[in-house]
Amino acid sequence: MAEQRNLKKEIDTKLHDEVLQDALSRFADQYPEARLRSYANVDSIEGLRDDLRDMKQWTVHHIEQVADEFEASIKARGGHFFRAKDGDEVKKYLLQICKEQNVKRIVKSKSMASEEIHLNEVFENAGLHVRETDLGEWMLAVADQKPSHMVMPAIHLNRKQCAGFFSHELKEEVPPDIPYMIQTARRVLREEFLSADMGITGANFGIAENGAIGLVTNEGNARLVTTLPRIHVVLIGYEKLIPKVEDAAKILRLLPRNGTCQRMTSYMTMVDGPTPVIHKVDGKWVEEERQQYVILLDNGRLDAAHDEKMNSVYQCVRCASCLNVCPIWTLVGGHVYGHIYSGGIGAILTGLLHNMDAFSQFSDLCIGCRRCTTVCPGKVPIPDLIDELRSRYVKEHGLALPERAAFQKILANRKIFHTLLRLGSVAQKPVASKGFIRHLPLFFAGMTKGRSLPAIADVPFRDRYAELAKKNPRSSLKVAFFSGCNLDFVFPGTSVSVVKVLQDLGAEVLFPMEQSCCGKPVLGMGDRDTGRKIAKKNIEAFESCGADVIISACPTCAETLSHTYRELFRGDPVWEKRAEAFASKVREFTSFVAEKYEQQGRLQNVNGSHKTTYHDSCHMKRGLGIFEQPRALLATAKSTSFVEMKNPDKCCGMAGAFGIKYSEISLPMLTEKIQNIKATGADTVAVACPACMMQLRGGLDQQAPEIRVRHIADILAEDIES
Amino acid sequence: MRKVCADWKTEAFSPALVNGSYWPDFEENAKAASAEIFCVPDETAAAQKVLEIADEVKADMVVAAGTETDRGISLACDTLAQAGKQVFRDKFEVAEHAPQAGLGLSRAEFGVGETGSVCVDTYSYEARVVGMLPPAHIVLLDRNALVENVTTAFQVMSRVFQKGYLGFITGPSRTADIERVLSLGVHGPSRFFIVVIGAEGGSIHG
Repeated sequence: MAEQRNLKKEIDTKLHDEVLQDALSRFADQYPEARLRSYANVDSIEGLRDDLRDMKQWTVHHIEQVADEFEASIKARGGHFFRAKDGDEVKKYLLQICKEQNVKRIVKSKSMASEEIHLNEVFENAGLHVRETDLGEWMLAVADQKPSHMVMPAIHLNRKQCAGFFSHELKEEVPPDIPYMIQTARRVLREEFLSADMGITGANFGIAENGAIGLVTNEGNARLVTTLPRIHVVLIGYEKLIPKVEDAAKILRLLPRNGTCQRMTSYMTMVDGPTPVIHKVDGKWVEEERQQYVILLDNGRLDAAHDEKMNSVYQCVRCASCLNVCPIWTLVGGHVYGHIYSGGIGAILTGLLHNMDAFSQFSDLCIGCRRCTTVCPGKVPIPDLIDELRSRYVKEHGLALPERAAFQKILANRKIFHTLLRLGSVAQKPVASKGFIRHLPLFFAGMTKGRSLPAIADVPFRDRYAELAKKNPRSSLKVAFFSGCNLDFVFPGTSVSVVKVLQDLGAEVLFPMEQSCCGKPVLGMGDRDTGRKIAKKNIEAFESCGADVIISACPTCAETLSHTYRELFRGDPVWEKRAEAFASKVREFTSFVAEKYEQQGRLQNVNGSHKTTYHDSCHMKRGLGIFEQPRALLATAKSTSFVEMKNPDKCCGMAGAFGIKYSEISLPMLTEKIQNIKATGADTVAVACPACMMQLRGGLDQQAPEIRVRHIADILAEDIES
Repeated sequence: MRKVCADWKTEAFSPALVNGSYWPDFEENAKAASAEIFCVPDETAAAQKVLEIADEVKADMVVAAGTETDRGISLACDTLAQAGKQVFRDKFEVAEHAPQAGLGLSRAEFGVGETGSVCVDTYSYEARVVGMLPPAHIVLLDRNALVENVTTAFQVMSRVFQKGYLGFITGPSRTADIERVLSLGVHGPSRFFIVVIGAEGGSIHG
């Protein structure tokens, strides 16, 4: 059982750590462009990513065979080889070697795996002198802190703090002067290298065909750790194995570029079997073969390899670029993720290699915005793997909090849910004004700070549909509208616009009344059983209406209906077909309208009166791959002249329930978005997602009330004569 | 001196993969990685350049690897010694003095256009310490021993890499662990020189 953490408090501390905030915001700003610059001399980044993914996928599907070959190669070259089931076996094995080989001093380089199993503590307890040699890792060890990033372990510290740790460790006054500190570290750590008996490294890759391990570093500490001591220990996880020498290139063309925005790190070192070492024995210089011990660590990795849903985690090369672009990590840093590996990939590794309780405590820090999937060298579907682990955890433990369980029951029953929403519209009256809830009761105070939450509409869309249906044209094109909760109960006016635009296309618009929430809120928590119940109700509701197309003007609903529903019923003898038939009809509103406008020759470039920018919803851009169509529609609309903002596809911070639960993280994301909107000089920001609309309207209402937020459906409807 | 491959030119290189046409890329990327590059026509000129660099970095003691078989390295050592530098070439002496030496000298087998890296065959202990312990390191590189990219570099290496210690060096040792400020020379050399020997288009293939 993992220790119960007060995550909100930890997050709060990080958000108020000025040093951290300054470092992270500068880094987050610079990283994307610096990364792309490093790729400027590559023909196709996608091609390289595909090659890496394919090679890693092949390997994980043949992991036993590859591991056997790796073992045989090491042994044939005179290295010792040991397969460790877990950390305890590693520790026992290493302590035994230290005893037999009379090891007193140890230097380490580049080994996340050793941190994963808390190796250093064991050496220290056994009275052995052990030192990390990567500068950042060394400072953190001295300061008794944990790395906050896999590649930049000390990014959360500034030079003054570093100088403090130097001074404390060396018992001399070290000024906060970076070159001076670097030279001091060189002097101090050089002694460690020269006097060490054993060097321990991890590996960025291990090659089965010749037994070589590869290490990339910029400092060169791995070269010294593998050169000076008379014993070299390699601690390598199964996921680092690759079949052939040439496969290493597939990692190395991406890892340095994604990790540190370099075309290559200063040192790329491959050690294959025991190599010579020259050292003094009894006062005389002698040359010997270095003892090499290779430990292949399982610790949950083999289970992951044989898990068809999770084995894509083997495609990770630990570059940490997923953290660098994560809107949450770049706000809170790595420490709040707990354990060793941080960010989205860290949640997955924690769940697979550590324990699921620890995973469950911070897994909802992934908001599923999918930004990481656009840069990951090995194309690891990080949000999907987190989703899978979440659902497994919930299946075993149920939803964590009582209110979640209540939410689950309510959402599964449309009538109760909708009754409560209607009651909500009455109950909120005293606190709502102009469509916003400005002053919620005290215990909600943190949630409304810096932004207003929307009120539930007096009359939901479903009560207005009958009137609109009267205007349906006679048509062979039957379109069913799936509104989703927000467009039904919070923004019914936008639903009216959707219907208007569709009718104007010549479609007969249907609205099956039995439809309910798409199920995303419970699916997002990992509750697939309730999700299936809801999905079945929706599928049934639409099957009977005879529509050719099902339109959703909420990308999250559209993604759930078309992608997740298919997944939910995979292998189900009855429902797989029904879900497929349903899902194949689902179309996102703007992409459908843009297609029809094009067919009807209505797409054009009009320079309208209102300078309008567009915010890409995460689910729309990266979930559905739709980003050109909304812009084409905005160019067509009479009232708008389009202008692009900076980072239009960066999450606004709403992300479903996340924006409410972690409002303290959500708000800085919203503020950044608003700054980017303001910088365009636009008076309107267009969206194609009601959740983004809710978030942006709430933020702009308090921070820039002169800027309007409009759904594209509303903008288009304005041009239609009624 | 023990090497992964005793004769890279005949055993690993082929004209299609290894030739001088990647020079512009190599030069640009190596400089971008803070490597310092000097082009010279022949080994005699290279030896003179090595001496100039030794003077510039104020190195009175030099450690070198590969003098037994490498004429370029051997010639440079002679020139350094004649100029009064203390030069160590024997592997035990190199091991003993490398921590105090001001400059290390060794061979690079080929360069990589895409990254500005040089491939170093460092199976022997002495080849590794000359490149890591002194504050400055010079490699000698043949002007036409270049590959296009990392993929082709690994094609070349895979022909001969059966055992040992092999890798790339791309500029000097660096860190950005304090405030992401680039700092050179944290563990290895703070200056990395590539002395490039030969003229464009000259053949390196026997």
